[in-house]
Amino acid sequence: MSLFDPQIAAYIPWVSGLSAVVCGLLCLYPQFAKLAAGVCASAVGVGFVIALGIWGNVTHAGAAVNPEPLMRWIEVAGLEANYGVYLDGLTMIMLSVVTGIGMLVVIYAAGYMRGDPGYARFFAAVSIFIFAMTTVVMADNLVLLFLGWEGVGLASYLLIGHEYHRPAAVNAAKKAFIVNRIGDFGVLLGMFCIFDVFGTVRFEGFLPAASALLTGDVSGLVGEGLAAYEQATAVLAGGGEWLLLAAPFGLMVGAFGKSAQLPLFVWLPDAMEGPTPVSALIHAATMVTSGVYVIARTMPLFELSPYALPTVAVIAGATAILGASIALAQYDLKRVFAYSTVSQLGYMFMGVAALSSTAGVFHLVSHAFFKALLFLTAGSVMHALAGQLDIRKISGLRHKMPVTFVLMGIGCAALAGLPVLTAGFWSKDLVLATTFDRAIATEGGTAFIYLMVGIVGVVTAFVTGYYCFRVWFRVFFGEERYAMGDHPTHHDGHEGDHGHDDEHGHHANEPHEMDWGMNGPLVVLAIGSVFAGLLLGPTHAVEHLIDGTSAEANALRVGDDATKYEKWVHNLMYGVSAVVAFASLALAFVLHGPWRKVEGDDPVRLRAPKVFGALNSKLWIDEVYGAVVVYPVRVMGSVFYVVDAVIVDTVVRGLGVVPRLLGEGARPAQSGRLHGYGLGMALGVAAVVAATFYAMNRG
Amino acid sequence: MDQMISSLTFSHYFLTGAVLFVLGMIGFITRRNMIVMFLCTEMMFQGVVVTLAAAAAMHGNVTGQTFIIFVLTIAAAEAALALGLVILLFRRRQTLDAGAWSELRG
Amino acid sequence: MQSDQLILALLTLPVLWAVGLLLPIPGLQRKRYAWAYSAVTSAISLTLAIVVAMNFDWTHPGDMQLSGSIDWIPSMGLSFRYGVDAISLWLILLTAVIMPVVVLSSLIEVNHDMRQFHFWLHILEAALIGTFVAQDIVLFYVCFEFTLIPLYFLIGVFGHKEKLKAARIYFLYAFTGSMLTFAGVLYVGYVGWSQTGLWNFGIQDLYEIGRRMSMTEQCLVFAAMLAGFGVKTPLVPFHTWLPLAHTEAPTAGSVDLAGLVLKLGPYGLIRLAIPMLPDAALAFAPWVCVVAVIGIVYAALICRAQKDAKRLVAYSSVSHMGFVALGLFVFDPGGIAATGAVFYMLAHGLATGGLFLCIGMLYDRFHTREFGRIGGTAKFMPVWSFFFMLFVLASVGLPGLNGFPGEFLTLMGAFDSELWWSKPMAVAGALGVILAAVYLLYMAGRMVWGPPVIPADHEGYLEGAEHGVDPNHRHDLSWREITTLVPVAALCLLLGLMPMPVLRTLESPVVGLNEPVMAIVESAEQAELQVTEGDGPREAVVQAEGETAGVSGTGLPSGARVVVVGGEGVSHE
Repeated sequence: MSLFDPQIAAYIPWVSGLSAVVCGLLCLYPQFAKLAAGVCASAVGVGFVIALGIWGNVTHAGAAVNPEPLMRWIEVAGLEANYGVYLDGLTMIMLSVVTGIGMLVVIYAAGYMRGDPGYARFFAAVSIFIFAMTTVVMADNLVLLFLGWEGVGLASYLLIGHEYHRPAAVNAAKKAFIVNRIGDFGVLLGMFCIFDVFGTVRFEGFLPAASALLTGDVSGLVGEGLAAYEQATAVLAGGGEWLLLAAPFGLMVGAFGKSAQLPLFVWLPDAMEGPTPVSALIHAATMVTSGVYVIARTMPLFELSPYALPTVAVIAGATAILGASIALAQYDLKRVFAYSTVSQLGYMFMGVAALSSTAGVFHLVSHAFFKALLFLTAGSVMHALAGQLDIRKISGLRHKMPVTFVLMGIGCAALAGLPVLTAGFWSKDLVLATTFDRAIATEGGTAFIYLMVGIVGVVTAFVTGYYCFRVWFRVFFGEERYAMGDHPTHHDGHEGDHGHDDEHGHHANEPHEMDWGMNGPLVVLAIGSVFAGLLLGPTHAVEHLIDGTSAEANALRVGDDATKYEKWVHNLMYGVSAVVAFASLALAFVLHGPWRKVEGDDPVRLRAPKVFGALNSKLWIDEVYGAVVVYPVRVMGSVFYVVDAVIVDTVVRGLGVVPRLLGEGARPAQSGRLHGYGLGMALGVAAVVAATFYAMNRG
Repeated sequence: MDQMISSLTFSHYFLTGAVLFVLGMIGFITRRNMIVMFLCTEMMFQGVVVTLAAAAAMHGNVTGQTFIIFVLTIAAAEAALALGLVILLFRRRQTLDAGAWSELRG
Repeated sequence: MQSDQLILALLTLPVLWAVGLLLPIPGLQRKRYAWAYSAVTSAISLTLAIVVAMNFDWTHPGDMQLSGSIDWIPSMGLSFRYGVDAISLWLILLTAVIMPVVVLSSLIEVNHDMRQFHFWLHILEAALIGTFVAQDIVLFYVCFEFTLIPLYFLIGVFGHKEKLKAARIYFLYAFTGSMLTFAGVLYVGYVGWSQTGLWNFGIQDLYEIGRRMSMTEQCLVFAAMLAGFGVKTPLVPFHTWLPLAHTEAPTAGSVDLAGLVLKLGPYGLIRLAIPMLPDAALAFAPWVCVVAVIGIVYAALICRAQKDAKRLVAYSSVSHMGFVALGLFVFDPGGIAATGAVFYMLAHGLATGGLFLCIGMLYDRFHTREFGRIGGTAKFMPVWSFFFMLFVLASVGLPGLNGFPGEFLTLMGAFDSELWWSKPMAVAGALGVILAAVYLLYMAGRMVWGPPVIPADHEGYLEGAEHGVDPNHRHDLSWREITTLVPVAALCLLLGLMPMPVLRTLESPVVGLNEPVMAIVESAEQAELQVTEGDGPREAVVQAEGETAGVSGTGLPSGARVVVVGGEGVSHE
């Protein structure tokens, strides 16, 4: 039933790690740099094959598979964090997405990056990313997860800053890393709390224990889980309850940092400075979803804290609507999709916040397909137009780039959630329905929160449909008109032997369709964007996978009776979603469609310049950050430096003065005359003798 | 004669030592000629030597006399060295006045 | 050779090498010969250190091994007692690894008095090893203090512009502090003498004596020791010598200083102060931790205001050593924090040493270390940039590199500690994690990335070209420099991905040294438990609490010394 022993999954990250080393060495030998793409793709491919190969083993196990760790990493006192893997349905879904989409993007990038002077370096960094990302989704403990977590941050840093000679890219890379570090601070604290309560950071230990705390049912607990449960009850009895309440909030901050939620989302739009395949792989499909993964993975902990999930819901709703509104006022193709990612991540968090890992992860999967597709088609446009991304300057490309036109159309349809055929429809629907479900199942303030979040979700769906079709209509319809960009990469500006040969010679004035080496992966993604929804939606496959394999996931719905699962909410949602999606399409068609009245500008800006301007300036959130965080840190640094140099140094000098003053006082005694010294010596001896004499006579 | 000697007590010897030492010290402090000053230090040495001899006799052992030999040996070596230094200094400044050398003024 | 004499050989070998440099061998005046001599000899010392490590019984890392004793001044109870446990041995290995690296790196920078330079390097190695193997407190002190002299000359003779001032201030700071330490050490010896009538300065024997001293005595002695060890560590506000000394020192001096000499402070604390004076250590713990955390944040913020790369790294050392101090004084039940702190000592030595080496190589080429005057090195020095980024990321504490396990364990232990003040400390310390990324990536952004900037007045660097490296990359590292950096980088990676061999062996000695403090903490908890549960011998506890009411600031909910009474009460039942 299964090709491989699950144990072999532990090697998946290391294959990519090896690929990173090889690609790194290839950097030193430019003549072989071309091989890097192949190395990287095969490493990711091996991971994908292994993931598929062990799929059956894991899904039939009925519980998480946790083979012996490959190697020991950190083991001190009770803390045990080794290179172990934890395989269940959730991991398998994530693993397949990461390696599958990863492989497609790498294949696309092999063409896209051709001619780049940092070709091998690019694939080395991508390999590091795959190493880290697979570690995140397979780690069997939080510390190892954190290794991957920071590792993806590093890869993101390196890839955003790939074109390091541009200060904008460097700053964006730095910003991404530092904002993520703020999130990591939260993860660290969450981890500390968990270790304090459960005495372990292993999922095998604290997840069952947390479930048991939730349900009060300890019958199924064995081994590590039981030990963790016992420690937890002792700690809780000793007044450690606040730790348990705090733990999910720590993890949440980390998840919000990595997954670009309010208020830590500012790095993601800037991250578009990286090459487009990177935006597709890291900043849309995989890395940014790891926050969703972490919450889904540690769901029992979030349930233990009554405020955790509603908080997630509120943040998710706010981020969704905010990201979508900013997206509708952007002119930069990639930035539209970047804010769209922020907004869609909000949906995923809505799903998990509604107690349904299934909904969150399902949307994650379908989003991975259609957003990767959208970014890569945007990359194709950019590639064809030498870096032009301003949708005011592009129009009517459908004849020049017919395949891209169709592919982006499919992506937009999926993002907007056009009914029945698209993955986005099924997954967004599940998210919204479960959110309303949750509103019905709970009472009081919590119910109100979920209700509001659900409504915001519906509104966001409308905005989403509008902004994505706005882009699609603008770029591909209307009169054919384009201005080439000034992007120096890939085409000109590098001397010598790499990659500047055949089909890239004709870039000068003509946009052109991509070759099938690049379009091939896009077709696969497009098929996924359509059929993933049909395959996974009506069949409840994700749900079966997740619920069927993780023992602790079953505890999820114990709080509210499973029979309350409201069928009519879902049916209603299908209808509402369909209406909303078509309405948004219609609005976009009217304003931006083939017969649009305004060219080279946005009709909304002309009607409501202030609102549009505010959204276009991203609501000045970056400026607020600068004033509240960045500037104070710099000022404090300078002030402290002055304090250190002036005050502390003055004190030191003050101390140094004391011996000097003493010396000045004693100076006349040193006349330099022999007789003076002689006399002094004689008097000294006399004094000693006299004192001795006196002392002896007294004694 | 014998009687005179025998009537000398240990304190006489100590007194002699002390007088020699003090005279030497006064000479060292008051005189400016380096050779004289050097001779004065020799005189102080002799005062100590006399004291040592007396103390040795008083305690009835030879430790003190051993030290005398030691001190005299050192004194001889030191005399050779010191006079050499004095000559060196004289050659530099053409004077024996110790006051001419006060570079170590603080 | 018998295995217990290995340590003696390890100690005397560098001295012999140093003496060898003084011999009137004609070639040694020449720059390259002296350099080659030193490289070979320090490599031999490294080999010997590895032999020592192979003779060490790693299954009992907490025991004093390969130990021995030679009479020194018997009438004063001084003897040459030596021995190593895993903590000492790892630090010795670090010393032995850093030394050849430092020698290799110094070929360009040091261009006068070569023999003197290498002489002091070897002497420094001997003094460091002496400190780590000493089992006699006076021997420890002598070696500890002796590290000052070689460093004074390394900075004062071979440093940059303000070298004399830097050397003087370094000397005065360290010397003033350690004089107080010496007074404290002597006092413990004196107490021992007044009890037994024998002078005895064996560290193990003094543990017993120190633990029996009264609270006041312990606190005074502890304060004295903290003065010396705290200045060396350095703890804020006694850190101002460090940026100056680092900035003015030659690369070799900086690497030795940051990588090795700074470790003497925490080493002294965990080897002497904490096990010898457990009550005082517990009483001082909150204050030391506050100072450590302030240091972490304060120095990190200062880093952000720097323009000189070397000064930035120097301040970052202050910040990082704050983690070590924090880890040593939170006393968590499993010893996680202290183990992490000792690991962090090793890790910091490598990562910061690597950064200093890289910056030194840059300075050799362009005679500047200022952001803005030099930048965008990724373009014209890719290999250098790779190593530099690696060390930057190691310093940031990226998991998978060596900075992470230490930092993480320290903070996790601090959070796990039972002492009520430790959790806020851990949270505040964790802020340092964010700030480290802020200032180190700021430096990386200015130096490695961005458009290339080279000082206008500089005339190419040709060492690489001599060795046949691609002339287009003539700014980049020569094979000598790559050889210098590779071992450090490899160890950074190795300790990050596979820290277990080190962590496992550090755990038991660290726990052993912390045991007296932990005993106090645990029994205090028991006593408190009894008070709260009310089923213990309440009277005894209450009475005991009354006795110690005068002792305040122990950092414990109830007085630390109470406990013994309470604990006994339990055992009677």
